[in-house]
Amino acid sequence: MSAWLRDLALGARLARSGGRGARSRVVLTAIGVALGVALLLVAASLPHMLAARDARTDARSDLQLSGPPPVAGVGTLLVADVNDRFRADDVRGRLLRAEGPVAPIPPGLERLPAAGELFVSPALAELLRSEEGALLRERLPQPIAGTIGDAGLAGPAELAWYRGSDDLRLRADDGTVRRIDRFGEPGGSTAPDPVMQLLAVVVLTALLLPVAVFVATAARFGGEARDRRLAALRLLGADMAMARRIAAGEALVSALLGLLLGALLFLGVRRLAGEVTLFGLSVYPGDVTPSAGLALAVALGVPTAAVLLTLAALRGVVVDPLGAVRRARPRRRRVWWRLALPLLGVLLLLPLIGGDTRSAAEHELQLAAGVVLVLVGVAALLPWLVEAAVHRLPGGGVAWQLATRRLQLDSGASARVVSGIAVAVAGAVALQTTFSGVENGYVSGSGDGRTADVWAHDDGRPGAGAQRLAAALQGSDGVRGAVVAGEQIEAGHGDTTEYVRVADCATLRRVAPIDRCADGDVFVVGEVTSLRPGARLRLDGGTSWTIPRDARVLQRWRGSPDPDDGASYSIPDPVLATPGALAGLPLRPRTTLATVTLADDGRDAIEHVRNTVARLDETATVAMLGGRSYDREYANLRRALFAGAVAVLTLIGASMLVGALEQLRERRRPLAVLAAFGTPRGALARALLWQTAIPVALGLALAVAAGAGLGAALLRMVGEPVGFDLASIAGLAATGAAVVLLVTLATLPALRRTVRPEGLRAE
Amino acid sequence: MSATEPLLAAHDLRKAFGPTPALDGASIEIAAGEVVAVMGPSGSGKSTLLHCLAGVARPDTGSVRYRGRELSGCGDAELSALRRGEFGFVFQFGQLVPELSCVENVALPLRLEGVGRREAERRARTWLERLEVAELAGKTPGQVSGGEGQRVAVARALAIEPRVVFADEPTGALDSLNGEQVMRLLREAAQESGAAVVLVTHEPRVAAWSDREVVVRDGRTAATEPVLP
Repeated sequence: MSAWLRDLALGARLARSGGRGARSRVVLTAIGVALGVALLLVAASLPHMLAARDARTDARSDLQLSGPPPVAGVGTLLVADVNDRFRADDVRGRLLRAEGPVAPIPPGLERLPAAGELFVSPALAELLRSEEGALLRERLPQPIAGTIGDAGLAGPAELAWYRGSDDLRLRADDGTVRRIDRFGEPGGSTAPDPVMQLLAVVVLTALLLPVAVFVATAARFGGEARDRRLAALRLLGADMAMARRIAAGEALVSALLGLLLGALLFLGVRRLAGEVTLFGLSVYPGDVTPSAGLALAVALGVPTAAVLLTLAALRGVVVDPLGAVRRARPRRRRVWWRLALPLLGVLLLLPLIGGDTRSAAEHELQLAAGVVLVLVGVAALLPWLVEAAVHRLPGGGVAWQLATRRLQLDSGASARVVSGIAVAVAGAVALQTTFSGVENGYVSGSGDGRTADVWAHDDGRPGAGAQRLAAALQGSDGVRGAVVAGEQIEAGHGDTTEYVRVADCATLRRVAPIDRCADGDVFVVGEVTSLRPGARLRLDGGTSWTIPRDARVLQRWRGSPDPDDGASYSIPDPVLATPGALAGLPLRPRTTLATVTLADDGRDAIEHVRNTVARLDETATVAMLGGRSYDREYANLRRALFAGAVAVLTLIGASMLVGALEQLRERRRPLAVLAAFGTPRGALARALLWQTAIPVALGLALAVAAGAGLGAALLRMVGEPVGFDLASIAGLAATGAAVVLLVTLATLPALRRTVRPEGLRAE
Repeated sequence: MSATEPLLAAHDLRKAFGPTPALDGASIEIAAGEVVAVMGPSGSGKSTLLHCLAGVARPDTGSVRYRGRELSGCGDAELSALRRGEFGFVFQFGQLVPELSCVENVALPLRLEGVGRREAERRARTWLERLEVAELAGKTPGQVSGGEGQRVAVARALAIEPRVVFADEPTGALDSLNGEQVMRLLREAAQESGAAVVLVTHEPRVAAWSDREVVVRDGRTAATEPVLP
């Protein structure tokens, strides 16, 4: 043990006092390790980030799911959801009206807003003050009376507001206006969706493995120069074991320095966390706190890995005291254990296929282990695959020959760097395949992005609300085509719930093949309901109404009309009534529906429509039919994948660049000699490109195969049919290839410097 | 090029690396087929002179003419083409490309000149035979000794049948026996193919293989003297 410590300490001293070359290698490795450590610490903070966010959103929850509904009293509050969107961002809005002096106050506010008072989040305040927010200001014209504190917001970039209202009333049971006696629902967050859990496990695995591969690669930077230095130690009497331990000591210094730099980088990132919104996700700096266990694992794991990797790397190197460093004739890589890893992974995943989704998600550990083994298998198989493939490559031009011979001599370094990309792409392909497969369950909306649906409330006489909404929309900015408007009334019939659509004759003709029509007429769409004339219905849960006996039964309904004609409902409500048919009935506020065709000019047509609708009913919902609307949890996961993939690919690109520069530095002399006897720089650049591109092409092929297989398995686990999104897979592969091209381009200036005659100097 | 014009001539070359002058008015002329030893102590500027003569480095001022053509006016691509087609190089440590086999190393300049792989390797094997290292054809540089590597490097330099061979301390890393062998083979092969040799060395024993010596001191060519038979 003391020999170990002595040799490690000697290595550390040599790293510090080994001159400029040794120090620059230490710094290079430390920077690589630091990037990885910072990313690992961010990942280690994820549990706390999510928990803190959930705790805040739970604490402000105004959905009282447990206990009996509260009755009006001194401690109750009426709350209306006014959730909205502004361009690509969600806006959370609430109207509040206290019913007594001790009504609950939402977290982040010091008092309840008085009628007309607006309290906003800092991000919304900034947006409303800016030119960008001019259109949103039309919906929120009140002066800002206060700011919502951090405790009341999901994150610093959240757009949220509370406004006092003195005319808020409980409506029919549509849930838009609620009575509550407290904020916060213990455990208010719904249980995570098992499919989401499953995807989250794969996202984390796919993103973190490349980081681990990167740290392992960074720990081996500068290996050749280190080997030469070890020869001098051998001359002084160090045996091979001592030399390896001394080298490990050097690596330890780099790793510890990297750990320190990584921690500092993480603190810097943490300070900036509040300022940055990545793909719609924002967090407070305080949320970015690594969990103690994971931070400890990073702090201990990185230096330990650096020492072990150095010892492992030196097993294949013979350093003799006369300065000759030989790579032991590289043994052909064995495939059995490399293949065993993904096979074991598949064996772990197989039992989860075909069962129900929940059981797959409940076996989180088994799933994670399976996914990790398959992805680690990609990283382990790649060096073997590259070695096996490059020995079979045919001859070609000079650049090709230089590249393939280099890879035949030592493909390990290239394959190691590329395995980071391969794992990232394999994970991303698996996820992309899974996302595409389960998308239908989490995405709503379809169409061409030119039409919007409006749901508003109206408590006037039946039919009048639709006319009011239609008139307002016809005159609104942002509306191009005709407006199809109507009202929808819930109609109970026995144990079933049907709907009655109330609209004028012109509107009804657009959704059903009606020839004769006058106010007071009623139609039954026979194809979609068993209701017939004479049936008794309970409208809005109370008012009794009989479908007139002279109501006409339509045998067919019209399909979706041309969106230019004011796109409409693909399947009409079963009963269609003109306003006169329901005149005089005491009906409570009803849902008024409209479909509008948006103007083509500019992105803000929908914002004008929202403003128009908000003037009629603040709580109205306006949804783009063409805008694909993702389930929030699903959207967050997709965003996390994109954010993580960007970070990982940047990291891997940096790693490849550092690796390529390191190799150029090591090969300064041979390259200068090649240039001296007239090798065109273009040929040298192409050789570099091939040298990177060949392993990357093999890596991507392996990654796509493994990723698609894994994706198919995950789809089977969640009971979805297997299908592949070829465009996305091609896109991911192209991204990997682009990283290679960029790295090669970035190394060209260094190549130019390397082939200068100074490289020929032997002294 | 007139009959009396030297094959390669440098006049008043000056070159500095930062504040340090490496060449300070060096001049030299080399005739076709001539073996010239450039001698001088370490750091005197002899390697820099060789690099300037070969178009590997550009002098700050002064002129280098090859077969009547001024090299300072040539672009990088022209200089590369000149080095590929007309010059051969041998360096102190052989400087073979480590990932290529010996025969591929020797064939490389031919392939850069556009000769097909099979033909280039056939010619390379002939040169390896002439340099008495035919058995090393399939080995990589890491598998051969220093002296063997230098002989492969000489074969590589001569494979394109250059007009000038530039040899920078070609025996510097060899023992005397191996050094003698390499010099004998280099001299014989160059003479057979009619190539001039510019030989940078600080060893009189090596310089003895040349027709003439040029001494470089503090960046200047101090003297030119014929080697006594």
